[in-house]
Amino acid sequence: MGSEQKTKILILDDEPIVLKRLKPALEKSGYEVEAFSRSLEASNRIIEQDFDIVITDLKMEGLDGMEFLTRVKDRSPVTEVIVITGFATMETAKESFKKGVFDFLAKPFKLGEIKEVVAKAETKIKGSR
Amino acid sequence: MSTFTNWLKKVFRDRKKSAPQVPFTVLFSVFQKILEYNNQVLELMAEMGTKLGGAYIFDQQYIRSKCHHIADIVYKLIYNLNAMAPKKYLNLYDAFGAINNEIEEELAGRPVIPQTEYTMPYSLITDDFTDVVGAKNANLAEIKNLLGLKAPEGFAITIRTFKAFIEYNRLQPKMDALNELWQKGDASKNQAAEEIRRLILEGTVPPLLQKEIHSRLDRLYQGADSGEVLLALRSSAMGEDREHTFAGQYLSLLNEPRGNILQAYKSVLASLFSDSVMEYRLQKDLLDYQETMAVACQLMVDARVSGVLYTLDPRAPDRDVMLINATWGLGAPVVAGEARADLYTMDREEPYPLKSLDIVRKHEKLVPKKEGGTDIIMVQEDLQTRTCLTDEQMKQIAEAGLMIERYFKKPQDIEWAIDHEDNLVILQARSLNIKDQVAKLVCDISSVLDDFPIIFQNKGSIVQEGIATGKVFLVKTEEDLDSFPSDAVLVTAYTSPRLGKVIKKTSAIITDVGSPTGHMATIAREFRVPTIVNTGVATQLLRPGQMITVDARENVVYEGAVKALCYYEFAEETFETTYEYRLLQRVLKKIAPLNLLDPSEKNFKPSGCKTLHDITRYVHEKAVEELIGLEYAKIGDTARSGRKLKFNIPLDLILIDIGGGISGSSSVSEVKPQEVISIPMKAFLQGLSVPGAWDTEPMSVDFGSFMSSLTRTFSSSMATPKYVGQNLAVLSKEYVNINLRLGYHFNMIVAYISENSNDNYAYFRFLGGVTDISRRSRRARLLAEILAKSDFRIDIRGDLVIARIKKLDLKMMEEKMQVLGLLVAFTRQLDVKMNHEQEVIRLKNFFEDLKNDHIKQKVI
Repeated sequence: MGSEQKTKILILDDEPIVLKRLKPALEKSGYEVEAFSRSLEASNRIIEQDFDIVITDLKMEGLDGMEFLTRVKDRSPVTEVIVITGFATMETAKESFKKGVFDFLAKPFKLGEIKEVVAKAETKIKGSR
Repeated sequence: MSTFTNWLKKVFRDRKKSAPQVPFTVLFSVFQKILEYNNQVLELMAEMGTKLGGAYIFDQQYIRSKCHHIADIVYKLIYNLNAMAPKKYLNLYDAFGAINNEIEEELAGRPVIPQTEYTMPYSLITDDFTDVVGAKNANLAEIKNLLGLKAPEGFAITIRTFKAFIEYNRLQPKMDALNELWQKGDASKNQAAEEIRRLILEGTVPPLLQKEIHSRLDRLYQGADSGEVLLALRSSAMGEDREHTFAGQYLSLLNEPRGNILQAYKSVLASLFSDSVMEYRLQKDLLDYQETMAVACQLMVDARVSGVLYTLDPRAPDRDVMLINATWGLGAPVVAGEARADLYTMDREEPYPLKSLDIVRKHEKLVPKKEGGTDIIMVQEDLQTRTCLTDEQMKQIAEAGLMIERYFKKPQDIEWAIDHEDNLVILQARSLNIKDQVAKLVCDISSVLDDFPIIFQNKGSIVQEGIATGKVFLVKTEEDLDSFPSDAVLVTAYTSPRLGKVIKKTSAIITDVGSPTGHMATIAREFRVPTIVNTGVATQLLRPGQMITVDARENVVYEGAVKALCYYEFAEETFETTYEYRLLQRVLKKIAPLNLLDPSEKNFKPSGCKTLHDITRYVHEKAVEELIGLEYAKIGDTARSGRKLKFNIPLDLILIDIGGGISGSSSVSEVKPQEVISIPMKAFLQGLSVPGAWDTEPMSVDFGSFMSSLTRTFSSSMATPKYVGQNLAVLSKEYVNINLRLGYHFNMIVAYISENSNDNYAYFRFLGGVTDISRRSRRARLLAEILAKSDFRIDIRGDLVIARIKKLDLKMMEEKMQVLGLLVAFTRQLDVKMNHEQEVIRLKNFFEDLKNDHIKQKVI
């Protein structure tokens, strides 16, 4: 067990509480998870390594989340990006989807909700492999 | 009746002095705005409350934005009330300002230190006071008060005292300057630290505080056996014992004579600025406000045996053992690792068999000196190689330790002592940090889980999150509880408050039926016992004695003991201790509690408002009052005075017609039901007067209390008229807006019904009053189920029930209004009826019968 490739997830959110709660929940569901609260570090990480799924906040200090997800998509178009944000507006949602975002979740959300979205993204990735 | 008209007269008299010139239509639209805002506040509050449940991921941004949103609406409420009654309620702004200011301070990361005493006895300390008394004091108080274990008598010298001390001696600027010198490199860390310590040790404890500490000591010594008892002073700093462990870096002083207390207190404070602590704080980038310290002041326990218990081996959690170190006399040398001690290695499972015992020669022991201080003396020859603990004591320590572990949800490092009367006393407890070990151990949690069969999952609702392993113990009767073993998983068909009896021994609870808001749920949360209710299958699928693992986070029950999952859980920061959880909890305390219940009470005034909910409630009550008190006939408007509905049921309802809602003469002070021609109101009244809804069979079950609750609300001869007459309906031909305060329930119904189905809607909102939580939640559930059966869309948040329905044709909408009327009548009885879970089903059926008999239901 554990030999088969696990789905790799990167989470970026500048509020540590989000990482603290998301990471273990996703790990328990069988994903390999890396979590970052600084966008610079996350940006460096995606250069070293491609992730299957990226979960990112939109509004953060330093690098803007929209900019980050653009970089992710540029480097690795097959990576599915899930946006989580506390400032959900129609415009940001539209813009995200235009950039090819897989789904858009308004904070606060239920653990179950994000797990469902992640599972869907995983299905899509596996289907296209 | 006469009291009512007297009251009206009085209101009119008062009003004439400043009769408002605002036209009624404007006034009513302001009133409607107030109702709308009122609803928004209640919904927001309920929404924020649900976030504490653990299912949601929220951040600080969420808390900030919701606080601002709710404050904004409450401000508008005050503004609009003052628009209804110009300048009459200006002092509400002051109440609002004070509350909102505190919320803003919290949001800015400056916890508002409650205006507590300078000292607090353990009996009064709860978890809520952690920020004031420090974690060590708070943990110990909970162990003592909630878990009922023995701990030293004592009190906390709070952080407020620390601040007063710093202020009195004007130390802050000097300390800041020294800190700066050090960080700039102009002074060494040692120099800076030493100088700060000197300043503290030479400072003066303000005279007022000296008095307070001594009076607390007087009371402490009253309960003590002799005047000779000495004191232990222990640090209890912010952050200590929780996520940042400064373990062992702060000072604890043992066996201090009373005369030395102030100096000892200062010494403990000074340890906040030891070289190592200052360095640690810098590294961890800890916030300034954590540079504060509370102190524990306890009566010394004259220990015969002392030691330390680790409920899990921190270096090798997977051994799944408990470790006890024990030695003769006081425990300080064991804690500091200076003395040799016996080591007991025990199984973590009941009856905690001893796995190995390592006895060392204990030459010396630490003992208290009569005049204060401690001494090291030789241990009697024959005791040197003897074990210090009996089997019974070992078991007792293990049991207590696991109880504390279950409560704090982390393996524990516990200092304990056994006094000369053979009592086990818990001196201190803090969580063991096993994060790194777990990371090595459980590298792949999901594959570990694959090895364990799932017995069931996603059944029922999680009441308290957490993970536990244990053997199934089926509880069928109350007698079963007497033989309930420690650490077992309690499995039962129905929830009952009686289960509280064994809650401290319980590792998890699973029930077939039950509600997440019931009384047992409250107890489970209080003791943080992982609990899943309403699974429907638990008693069928689980066998007595079967070892299971309850994952009350993901809602899964596994066969076998998934130890890895427990370790994983141990390593996680508990949701309840996260900054965000505590912040939300703290701001909610300034938002949600309702202190203004009864308008006839003295505190029902702006200065009595302690929370935003209080203000909201006050504004709503006063807005209704303002509208009822109007008499427009007198000031030339059309006949829109409030008139009483003459009705055969005990409901004092004032009607205000804003157009085509009432036929007949408007000069008469009473309206007959047949004169009501408002479409929704007429239907509502039909439902309300269904025979049997107000006084029928269920009442006889508990007639006495039903009547007493009736009189509490309706007896116009006994209660003040002002208190009675707050039920108001504003109506027109197609519209009705009904505000009811029935007992302590607040009920609002708004409906618009016309020939045009597209415009039609009905809105029902019910907020339960001050009964105990289990009755309230049963009531909420009953209402929801009844309304759902009539096709309403339901939203339950806590004990707030909202039901909506819209766009049905006129006939169907009328039926829905009849159902609502019937339900309002019916609801009156619920308060006194809902003592048992079975009542929900019985009452629901009873309601359905009434409905079927009296209201024609169309199938949609």
